[in-house]
This record gives sequence, structure tokens and C-alpha cells, in this order.
Amino acid sequence: MELNFEKVTKRFGDLEVIGEFNTSIQSGEIVALVGPSGCGKSTLLHMVAGLQSASDGQVTADGRPVKKPAPERTLVFQEHALYPWMTLVENVALALEFQDHPKSEALKEARTWLARVKLAGFETYYPHQVSGGMRQRCALARAFIARPKVLLLDEPFGALDALTRMTLQSVLRDLIEAERPTVVLVTHDVDEALYLADRVLVFSNRPARVLREISLGHIPKTHDLSAFSDIRRDVLGLLGIDTDNSTDAVSQLEKGETA
Amino acid sequence: MSDKQATGVASKRAYVIAIAVILFFWQVAAWFLPDFLMPDVSTAFQRLWEELNSAEFYQGLANSMTRLGAGYGAAIVAGVVLGLVGGSLNAVRSTLKAAIIILQSIPSIAWVPLFLILMGFGNLPIIVVVAIGAFFPTALSVMNATESVEKVHIAAARVMGASRMQMLKRVYFPAVTPELITGAQLAFGNAWRALISAEMIVGFSAGLGKSLAYAGEIADMTGVMTNILVIAILAAVIDQVILERIKHRLLRYQYL
Repeated sequence: MELNFEKVTKRFGDLEVIGEFNTSIQSGEIVALVGPSGCGKSTLLHMVAGLQSASDGQVTADGRPVKKPAPERTLVFQEHALYPWMTLVENVALALEFQDHPKSEALKEARTWLARVKLAGFETYYPHQVSGGMRQRCALARAFIARPKVLLLDEPFGALDALTRMTLQSVLRDLIEAERPTVVLVTHDVDEALYLADRVLVFSNRPARVLREISLGHIPKTHDLSAFSDIRRDVLGLLGIDTDNSTDAVSQLEKGETA
Repeated sequence: MSDKQATGVASKRAYVIAIAVILFFWQVAAWFLPDFLMPDVSTAFQRLWEELNSAEFYQGLANSMTRLGAGYGAAIVAGVVLGLVGGSLNAVRSTLKAAIIILQSIPSIAWVPLFLILMGFGNLPIIVVVAIGAFFPTALSVMNATESVEKVHIAAARVMGASRMQMLKRVYFPAVTPELITGAQLAFGNAWRALISAEMIVGFSAGLGKSLAYAGEIADMTGVMTNILVIAILAAVIDQVILERIKHRLLRYQYL
């Protein structure tokens, strides 16, 4: 599914959060939105999901304006989005039950998906009984079971420790390779963006504007990101993080902000 | 797990000790007062045993339980519906809540004269008074819980394509269940008090309250204490055994 952002602007009262954002995302492309916290990246994601609407401009999916949520555009939240009163398998099956699949069929399919994210054997556990990493594996299974055409990820692994996060990034990458949805990933983890995405958009502080667009192309990648160290330094610099050429980066950021 | 079991045992022991203390003070009062004013504990239990073998007792018990069941049941259903609807409608929520808080402060027994005239002597006014007592705490707790359902739980369901009905059944209802149960236990206390007092006032056909009031009228203190004993035992059994068991079943996931 192809996504188009046409002059998307979002204001909360007088506060402009996003200013005239334009981009198109090809079907099957993996795009990461990177930027400081509170810069409106998540708002953009929620607009694609149909949970929030733009103040001006519009988001279209395959040419049709997005007005409300639809299972073909699914969203993975940071955490706590699993229902605590349901077991893991029930949580995953719910995505199909909401689309009126019979319960037995949904549960069977959910078991298959839990096995795909390496949670076989934990079907009847409740979310609070498993680790944060396992909960997010389950959240991924719940997102993929509906075979979405667009997968939206809102800092999906932000609450996890570094090692678990890397494992889950691999799980997610494998799932994306197998299912090939269009992916929009919001993250503040530059390595995560470089590892997962074909294209990285670096945002400024409020109102969010694109400071840099980096096309990596859809290439095989591992967690050894040394080949991308120049890009990484560049992006961190844009985000105001001290790197070797920090003075340069800060001046670039300032330029970006006032541009 | 062992922690929870330990607290379970501790709370049971606390109950046994509390019952012993209450019976002890009753017995002390009985020693100091003449028998026609305060019967011995053993006398009351003996009378209870006789009552348990009389058909009349069971008739009264059945009548009271029917009124309680009808009033309490209707109040829970209505409270859940109004709580869910009211809690999700931002426009009316605060007004509705204020109205409930005002109405809740009226003792439900105060409605008896009105309903007696409106509905006539019979089961109906008692059932309505019981329902009023139970309705407000249920509605209020469900409404508060509905208001504070986690936004991410609602957003996740919307993203998965839940219809309004599915959202209500699969997200809102289970999310408010813990508060609903707390409210329902509070509501039971209200319903029980309303039932006994309404039966004492209305005095229509057999029932626990009527039997208590009658014993008082003929100055049968053993009968009074026996009825109080029955009322206390039933309330404890319904609240601590039946409602607690329903709570553990519905909230099974929290106890794992």
C-alpha cells in the first residue's frame, strides 16, 4: 500500500507540532522517522492509523484519504497495549475476532503466529506473567496476524533493554521480509532506524520539519552497522548529540531549525 | 502465591477471632441482663436450630432472597449499563455523576412511603427500594472505571477494527470489571440493609425483616436475637463466600 503525506500540518491550539510535511512512501518500503521526543513523529503515525486527523493537508493510502482506523493499517504501540485480562493467545486471536473470524479459527491462527515469534509454550500465560520482550513479541504477532498492508510502529522497543531490543529488531526484520508490508517506524534509536529502514527521515524539534532524508535502499543488514558509521554520525549530529565533529553538527542543527 | 495463601489464612483467622469476640460480648451482656431482655448465645442458637426445621422459616427466607435477587440483580445490570454509557459520554458525565452523588445520600428506606402509595402493598416497593440502594454505588464505580480505561487499550482496539459493540464487550467491560466488583460488594451491603429495613416497615408477607419486627412486637427477645443472627450469617455467607468466589473467578488473571 502506497502512502502519501500532502502538506500535512498539525496544530494543538496555537502550538504548531508539524509544519507542512510532504513525502510519499512506496508500497513495501520501510521508512524510519527519527527525531527528538515530542517533535510530532508519533502524531504523524497516528494520522496514518486514522486515530488522529491533520489540521491541514491530508494523508492518503493508495490514493484514498485516511479518515478512520482500518485493520489493513495496523499500529504497534510502545507498551501496555496487550489486554491484561486475556492470555497471550487470546490477545493475538482478538485481532482476527474483531474481523469476525470464528473464535476457534482465530485461536488456531494465533498459536501459529505465537510460534513464529518464538512464544510457543507461552500461549496461556497472561501478559503480566511474561517479560517485556515477550510482551512485545506478542504485540508483533497480534499486528502481523491480520496481514496488514501498512505496519506502523510507535517506538515499539523503546521500553526494552539494549540486548532484548536487538533481538526483537531481528524478529521484526524477519517478519517484515516475509510479509512485505509498507512500514513506518517512529524511533529515537538511530541504530534501530539504520538497521530496519530503507529510508530514514530526520526531524527537527517542534514544529517538526525534515532536516535530512537518507536513502539506504533495501539491502541485507546485520546489527554490525560499522558500514553506516558516517551516516550514523551525521544523524546523531543533526539530533544535537556530541560526535567528533560536534561543532559542525550543532551549527547544522541550528541552521535546520531556523530554515 | 504462598504470600497470597498466607494472607488468605490470616484473614480467615481474623474472621474466626472476630466472631468469637462478638459472641463473647453478647454472652457477657446476657449474664448481666435478665433472660427476657437478653437471651444466652446458646438459647438463640437452639432457637435457630428449631427454626431451621420449620417450613415457615424457609418461606420467609425464600421471600427475602427473591426480593434481594430481583432488586440487586436489576440494580447491577442497570448500573453497568448506565455506568458504561455515562462514563463514555463526556458531555453528560459530570452532571450524571453529581446527580448520583446527590441521590445516593438519601437513605433508600426513605423512599418506602412514596413507593408504597405508588405501587401498593406487595413485593414491588421492597424490590425497588433494594434496587435503589444497590444501583448508585454500582453505577458510580463503573462510570469512574469507564472514564479511566487506558487510552492505549481503546486505540489498540480501534486499530484492530473493533466495532462499537465489540469494543464495549471485549475492552470496556473487562477493563471495568475490577471496579465493578468492588462496587457490587458495596452495593450488596446497601441492598441488604434496604431489604431488611423495608421488610420491617412494610410488613407484607413473610420475610426476614418482618419476622424480626414481629418478634420485637411480642417482646420475644430470643426471637429478635435469632433473627439478627440469621441476618448476620446470611450477609457474611453471601459477601464473603459467594461474591468473593465470583470475584476470584472473574479476576482470575490478577491472582496468577
